[in-house]
Amino acid sequence: MASKAGQVKKLSRRSFLKIVGGASLTGVSLSLAGCGEVATADSAAGGKGWMPAQYNAPGSWPTNVRGRVPIDPLNPSIVRDDQKCILCGQCIEVCEKVQSVFGNYELPIKNEFVCVNCGQCTQWCPSGAISERDETDKVFKAIADPNVTVVVQTAPATRIGLGEEFGLPVGTNVQGKQVAALRKLGFDVIFDTNFTADLTIMEEGTELLKRVKGDLKKPLPQLTSCCPGWVKFVEYFYPELIPNLSSAKSPQQMEGTLMKTYYAEKKNVDPKKIFSVAIMPCTAKKFECQRPEMVSAQKELKDNKVTPDVDVVLTTRELARMIKRSGIDFASLPDDQYDQLMGTGTGAGVIFGTTGGVMEAAARSAYYLVTGQQPPSALWDLTPVRGMQGVKDATVNIPGIGNMRVAVISGLANARTVMDQIKGGNAPWDFIEVMACPGGCEYGGGQPRAAAPPSDEVRNRRAASLYQIDAKATLRNSYDNPQIKEVYADFLTAPMSEKAEELLHTTYISRASEFIAKKSDNM
Amino acid sequence: MSKGILVDIPKCIGCESCSVACKLWNELPWDSQEKNKTAEDRAKEPNKGLWPDEWTSINRYDVKKNGSSVGRYVKTQCFHCEDPACVSACFSKALKKLPEGPVVYDQKLCVGCRYCMMACPFDILRYEWKKAIPGVSKCQMCPSRVTNNQETACTSVCPTGAITFGDRDQLLAEAKKRIKDNGYVNRVFGEKEAGGTSWLYISDVPFEDLRFRTDVTTKSLPSYTEGYMKLTPFIGGTWAAVLAGLYIYNNKNKEPLE
Repeated sequence: MASKAGQVKKLSRRSFLKIVGGASLTGVSLSLAGCGEVATADSAAGGKGWMPAQYNAPGSWPTNVRGRVPIDPLNPSIVRDDQKCILCGQCIEVCEKVQSVFGNYELPIKNEFVCVNCGQCTQWCPSGAISERDETDKVFKAIADPNVTVVVQTAPATRIGLGEEFGLPVGTNVQGKQVAALRKLGFDVIFDTNFTADLTIMEEGTELLKRVKGDLKKPLPQLTSCCPGWVKFVEYFYPELIPNLSSAKSPQQMEGTLMKTYYAEKKNVDPKKIFSVAIMPCTAKKFECQRPEMVSAQKELKDNKVTPDVDVVLTTRELARMIKRSGIDFASLPDDQYDQLMGTGTGAGVIFGTTGGVMEAAARSAYYLVTGQQPPSALWDLTPVRGMQGVKDATVNIPGIGNMRVAVISGLANARTVMDQIKGGNAPWDFIEVMACPGGCEYGGGQPRAAAPPSDEVRNRRAASLYQIDAKATLRNSYDNPQIKEVYADFLTAPMSEKAEELLHTTYISRASEFIAKKSDNM
Repeated sequence: MSKGILVDIPKCIGCESCSVACKLWNELPWDSQEKNKTAEDRAKEPNKGLWPDEWTSINRYDVKKNGSSVGRYVKTQCFHCEDPACVSACFSKALKKLPEGPVVYDQKLCVGCRYCMMACPFDILRYEWKKAIPGVSKCQMCPSRVTNNQETACTSVCPTGAITFGDRDQLLAEAKKRIKDNGYVNRVFGEKEAGGTSWLYISDVPFEDLRFRTDVTTKSLPSYTEGYMKLTPFIGGTWAAVLAGLYIYNNKNKEPLE
């Protein structure tokens, strides 16, 4: 048949479907067979299709990874949010180099995660992954309960830290505002830990003099015991030095005990219905209040229903969170006063919050206890123990005793070198103050996080603020505190009396069996 | 050279850096429920804490050693068998063993049959039940890093050297040295198990106590079926020929239909 030019050849429906169907079938069978996805070894990884991310590093991968410290999920002090962790290794840095805890035990581990609960990792963590264990809910619940008397104490160092959470300059003294905020939050009674800091000085100073004179068969140098991180460090790594630790409890635990005994007796409150809260610059205090020894009130009153001496410890950051959650305008609060009975502290008490403070306070009191006179001006401003050096050395002359060599240490790696000296038998000191955190409590693991990594600039400003409070105080010697005189006259009789021993002193346990200590090279 | 990873179980302190690194490198989403589980919780789970978005997990076992109880952490993930059963079970070639060691998965080729999950002797693969178009998931051993001469994400962050990346042969020698030096259990788990795996484990407590599958065969799993499975085309072809022959024979003398 002759075809005419220009005539369009019609495609039948049947052949159209044949073509399209055939093409589709070919395509489907080819892709099912995996053609077009040529997977050679080169293209398999680094090419398309086989890799987890298109490029050689996903956007979520940090530029520098170095791992992190282990944290027990049951750690009473600190918790970690894995989702925020960037594996930068800052926690390892501080734990190993500054505190000499991580890496100072042999592997394999036994059961426990070796941790002194100091919380410095919460300060160093740049992404906020590590933080304190939040216990504000327990406190809110206790405040809401009308049958419970919620008694709170505030540590020396919180008053110069809390303001930073509300935009005030570093080191601002917000003592009055802090009391006002606590009252507004609904705490029933507000006491000052400075009071028991003074009490600690009385007990610890008396103990020191007894050791020096030989009345107490315990070795020198005496080591301070007010820092729970440091105490746990000794229990882990230097159990043979436990007799050197002062048996005096920390101010927090003394205050807690006295709340449920002295305060309860004086004000006729049922100790079972006292809920004792402590606002601390410290995460290790959370561990300390849960220690099984810290139930003196229960033992004294012989009543199992009395809860531990301190029920809950809140860090400065948690208090700030409570204030913010309650919508309190902190900066505009008027100054308020502590409740009396256990609410007056001296300048000696307030400088407990910085490194060297306990030593300075103890020196003033020791002088007074031995001579019965106010100390000379050099002891009012004991500059050799001030400042941010890791190990400070001073000599204090006390008539009747002679020269006392004292040392002040902050940072546990520094403590480790000094403890090794003591073990080696070449330590000239009579009394050594140790604070686990570099700079002391003012830069403790529970203090507000500074914008920059932990630095001596912030530490110095906070310490300066504490020294200023001391300098301005009318009472600067623990012995002069009228409430200290009152508590001894009415309740405890005398420092290291039987009752004081019962309530204000404690015992320590060796934790050396919980892990295998690293065999150091020079031993 | 085939790469491998040596897990020195007594050296692990349970910091879980590796599982965080896995999440970060592979951009796996966090699950609020999984995130708050502890290593102890995961050890008690039937699936050892492995989920579609949890490619690795750290499990804690409290075991007796010399009469006292000790805690041991075990990193769990795909073992990356030298001759993987999952790869041989996959008829759509979605799983593949790279010469460098990793056993990798490509969801584009996956039909979702889950034969690989049946085949895996260690119960590692997980099916993405929650997804509309699910695939299976497992540790990929960071193939883009490994083939570029980098170590895996998890080994790069281990602060104690509990997991080490290297050539499998060298690691095997190192493992045997450590067993001798440290008095570990005389067994490198992964040397021969399932025909050998890229991940090697050494331990100071019996592997049975750490929920390892110690009864697994030492033969490569595909080798069990290879002998007759490779006859499949021949048998199929023969069978077709036989049937065709029979058909022709039956119809030989029949008249074609009008």
